[in-house]
Parts: sequence; C-alpha cells; structure tokens
Amino acid sequence: MNTKRVYGYLAEFKSASALYKAAEKVRDAGHKKWDCYSPYPIHGLDKAMGMKKSILPYLVFCGGTLGIITAFALAYTTQVVIYPTVVQAKPSNIFTTAAFFPIMFELTILFSGFTTLFGLLALMGLPRLNHPLFESRQFARTTDDGFFIAIEARDPQFSSEETKTLLEDVGGSNIELVEEPAS
Amino acid sequence: MGHFITSKDIPADGEHLKKGALSKWINICGLVALVGIIASVWLLFSGNEAANTASDTVAGRYAYSWLFAFAFFISFSLGGAFWLLLHHVSNSGWGISVRRLMENLASVFPWMGIIAIPFLFPQVQQHLFEWMNRHREVLGSVTSYANAKEILHHSYGQFDHMLYAKAFYMNLPFWLGRMIGYFVLLGGAIYILKKISLAQDTDPEPGVERLKKSRKLCAAFLPIFALTATFLAFDLLKALDFKWFSTMYGVYFFAGCALNGMALLILTSILLRRAGYLQTVMSPEHHHIMGKLTFAFVVFWAYVTFSQFFLIWYANITEETSYFLLRNTGNWNIANIALVFGHFALPFLFLIRQDVKKNPALMIPITIYLFILHALDHYIIVAPERGPSLTVGSEAGASLLPSGSVVWLDILAFVTVGAFFIFVYLRTFTKNSLYPCRDPRILESANLFN
Repeated sequence: MNTKRVYGYLAEFKSASALYKAAEKVRDAGHKKWDCYSPYPIHGLDKAMGMKKSILPYLVFCGGTLGIITAFALAYTTQVVIYPTVVQAKPSNIFTTAAFFPIMFELTILFSGFTTLFGLLALMGLPRLNHPLFESRQFARTTDDGFFIAIEARDPQFSSEETKTLLEDVGGSNIELVEEPAS
Repeated sequence: MGHFITSKDIPADGEHLKKGALSKWINICGLVALVGIIASVWLLFSGNEAANTASDTVAGRYAYSWLFAFAFFISFSLGGAFWLLLHHVSNSGWGISVRRLMENLASVFPWMGIIAIPFLFPQVQQHLFEWMNRHREVLGSVTSYANAKEILHHSYGQFDHMLYAKAFYMNLPFWLGRMIGYFVLLGGAIYILKKISLAQDTDPEPGVERLKKSRKLCAAFLPIFALTATFLAFDLLKALDFKWFSTMYGVYFFAGCALNGMALLILTSILLRRAGYLQTVMSPEHHHIMGKLTFAFVVFWAYVTFSQFFLIWYANITEETSYFLLRNTGNWNIANIALVFGHFALPFLFLIRQDVKKNPALMIPITIYLFILHALDHYIIVAPERGPSLTVGSEAGASLLPSGSVVWLDILAFVTVGAFFIFVYLRTFTKNSLYPCRDPRILESANLFN
C-alpha cells in the first residue's frame, strides 16, 4: 500500500521582487525550515530570508592552517630530520624553511580548496539523488521562470491551514501541498 | 541596505570642506616643511669632502636619509595614481564616491618632484650613486660619451665592463632625462585626469563623455605609470648598488605603492566621515571593498618580495646575492624577519575578516600599522647601502645598527618630507568638492552593495 508523507507547502511568485518581499514576511512570521527557489541569484535575498552567516569560512581557515602545518611538518621531517639534504650549500636546519614555502603555499591552497568544496557539500547535504519537491510538476519551472517558496512540514510553526493562509497573504499563487512517497 | 539614495540626496555642488577646517594643520605642516627643507639643504650641501670618504660626512649620511623619506612618501602618491588609473580603465562604478580622494592623492605626485631636486646635484649624487662617480671620473678626461664608453670597455677596473655593458641605460644625460620625464609625463597625466573630473563638477549638463574620454586616456596613461613606478625605483633605489641584478624590483616597489596608497585612502575617508563628510555617498560597503584590495595587496607584496628573495637565495649567484647578504647580516636580518611576520602574517590575519574591514575604529590603527611597516620596508631598502660598498670606506658600515647621529638625520628627513607631503595633500582638499557630485554613476556608487 502506498503511503505518502507531507513535505510542505509550495507557492509560486510572479517575480524576483515579489519573492523578495514575500521572503521578508515569511521570515518575520518566524518560520525556520523553509527556502526560496529562483532561476538566478537575487542580491540581498539571504538578508530578506534572515539567514545566518555560514560557518564555512571558519572551516576553510582551519583547513588552510592544517595545510600549512602539514606541509611544514612533511618538508621539515623529510628534508631536515630524517634525511638532511644539503643542496647548493644551503643549511639543513630551521633556516631551510624558505625552501619549503612553495610547498606550504600549495598545501594551504589545496586544503582550503578541499575544505571549501567538501564543507560546502556537507553543509548543503549534497550530493543527494532526489528531492521531495521534484514531486511537484510546477517546480520544474524554477530552473526557467518560476519563483517559489517552500515551507517544510518539519517547521515548528507548520500547520495545514495557517501556513497556506500565510502563503496566500504574502502573494503566493498555485499553492500546492507537496507529498513525497514514504519509503 | 535601508534607504535607497537618489539624486535628491546628493547636493548639486557636492560637499565642500568648511572654510578653514584644515588651515591649522596646513599651516603647521607648511611651517615644519619649510624649516626642515632649509635645514636639509644646508645639511646636504655643506661639509662635503673628497668623494671617496664622503659617505662618512654628515652630507653623505643625510643623502640616504633624504632618499629614504622621498621613496617612502612618493609611494603613497604613486599608489593613488595607480588606483585612479585602474578605476578609470576598468570602467569601475563602485569607487566614484572615493575617486576624488584618489585624484587628490595622485596629484601630490608632481609636487614630490621638489623633494627630488637635490638628487640632480653631483654633490648629493656622489654619495648615493657610485656608477655616476666612475662615469664622471672617466668623462673628466674625454670630451664625448662615446669616448668614455670606450675607456670603460678597455679598462681593467673591477666593475668597469659592467658599466660599459649598462651604459646604454646608465649614463648621465639619459638618467637626467628620465628623472624629468617621470614627473612631467605622469604628473601631466594626473593633471589632465583631475582637470576633466573637476570640469564635470560645474557642468550644468553633465554627460558620460568625460567618463569615456578618461577611460580612453587612461589606457594610454597606465603604461606611463608602469614605466614610471618601475624605473623610478630602478634609478633611485636599485641604482644604489649598480652591480646588483633583480627583475622583481620594479613590481616589488609597486606592490608597496599600491598597498599603502589604498591604506591611506581608507584612512583619509574614515577621517572625513568622522568629521561628518561623505555621509550619503559612502557606506561600510566601500570600506569593505577598499579593505579587500588592501588585503589583496598585503598578499601580493609578500608574494613578490618572497619571489625576489627566493630565486636569489636558491640560485646563489654572486652578482645577485650581494643585496641579501648585506640585509641578512646581523641586526638587518632581525628587521628582515620582522618584515615577514609584521608586514605579511599579522596584516593577513587582521584583514581576513569582513567585519574588521567594515569597522573604522579598527581600520585606523591597522592602516597606521601598515604605514609603519612600510617605512621599515623602505628603511631596509635604503639604509644598509650607507654601509660598506665598492668605493666607500668600511668605517660607516662597521656597525650594522645605525649609530645615534644617523637615526636623528633619518628622523629629520622623514619629518620634513612627511610634513611637505601632508601639506600638499591637505591643500588638495580645500578647493573642490569631496566627491565627483555630477558624475553619472555617483548614485551607482552611493548605493553600492557587494
């Protein structure tokens, strides 16, 4: 027997500015688990949605620091501690560090880059194979000319009537209750 | 975001400083500069002895102090010129609100030519530029430069062949021509740009023609700037040791210019905003962008400086290592290592955060800190050359830390040139609007969001 689980309400908006104004009102209504969908990035939408700053920069800083320490430890251990290598009468001690700078630079960049990419994917919950909103036929237009707001059922303030009324009040049309097949 | 700024918020004649708001500072700086310049001329042109021991005289030591102060302060105006030219040529909209500040800073450049006048006199040159001494020596016995070149070619002098090979560039008439050319050409370029910009301020029907014209002109002016910044550094700083080679030197000097030019623009705009000006056209967003550019050039400076050191250190070629042998010995080495952490690592950590860049209370000490480290950077460029070299005796160089009297000379030169710089810089603010009030894109800049 096929049971279905409610994902949330989806509402369409006419334009980017309508979406922006609606986002401000949904934010002020105190919703937490909801998102805006648009074909292109809208300047300032994160503020209108009341989004907090991402913690990604801190992760990247830690990743970069880890990279520079790794590179220094790697180069220093191999070139100075385990197998002192004398090249062109250069010292084999702490003053060799200048020769390690390119490696320290490269690994800082590499680790920062990896932290950025994988931290971003982890924070966004990607990659994933499917999304409940794909159940909605009209949602395909978000990659073309559709502007949508979806308020999820797991939002503490979600209720089947009030959320629908809220989306109507902020100017949403084609309001749809999206359900996903329960697995 | 808040209030969207429209043309009603921007006065048709722009913002002007209150009459006499700066006159106290201008008078103080002008007086200090006047007294300092008179004392400096007296120091530079009195008490010279025979050429070979001349570096030990007060005049010889002071020539280096003067060069240090000149190089330090001209780097700000060169930085201002760079940002002005780049802003025009890249067709930028963000910085229209601060473009007048760039123009003001850049327009100090031709005035710095007055500070450079002593370098044109042989009495000062003999202490700084050893290649000139040898050229003059050879020229004394012949009539033409071609003959002098031949003498250098056939001489057995230790470095004469190098002087012969470099004679196409390092000869007295060309050097003089270049010195004049820098100030006339780049000074003229800055003058033209500022004139176009000021004409817009009073035009009853301002259009986009001047923007387009400036952009086209700047495409031609930018190479002039690049050549001026590079070869000014070559002719005055690198030529202190004519037998040294480095292809990174021009861009190394330029990195310091761009970094500190932008830092001074930030400091100026913060002080103006604190005094109640630029409230409508500037926002923390501008300081964010300017802070990002400063941050970028902190990294660029470190990249270029390290590249110069690293290649020379690794290749270990005798002609190239002399510069760093001198500067990585004794106390200079401590100063050089301090530069690695103080000029790169600390500002990197200071400026990495967005909220720091948008916070004027933090940016004031950070910019001043950058100026101090920039002064140390330039001190390490100039001052060690006061020590032992090819023709100058070893006594002055015996102690690597500058002796007491030398430090006082450095401070005198620094204060004199600094007062002159501030005097000219502040005077540029008194006459005109603080931003290009009739620029077609002033609203775009005022509503900047990034």
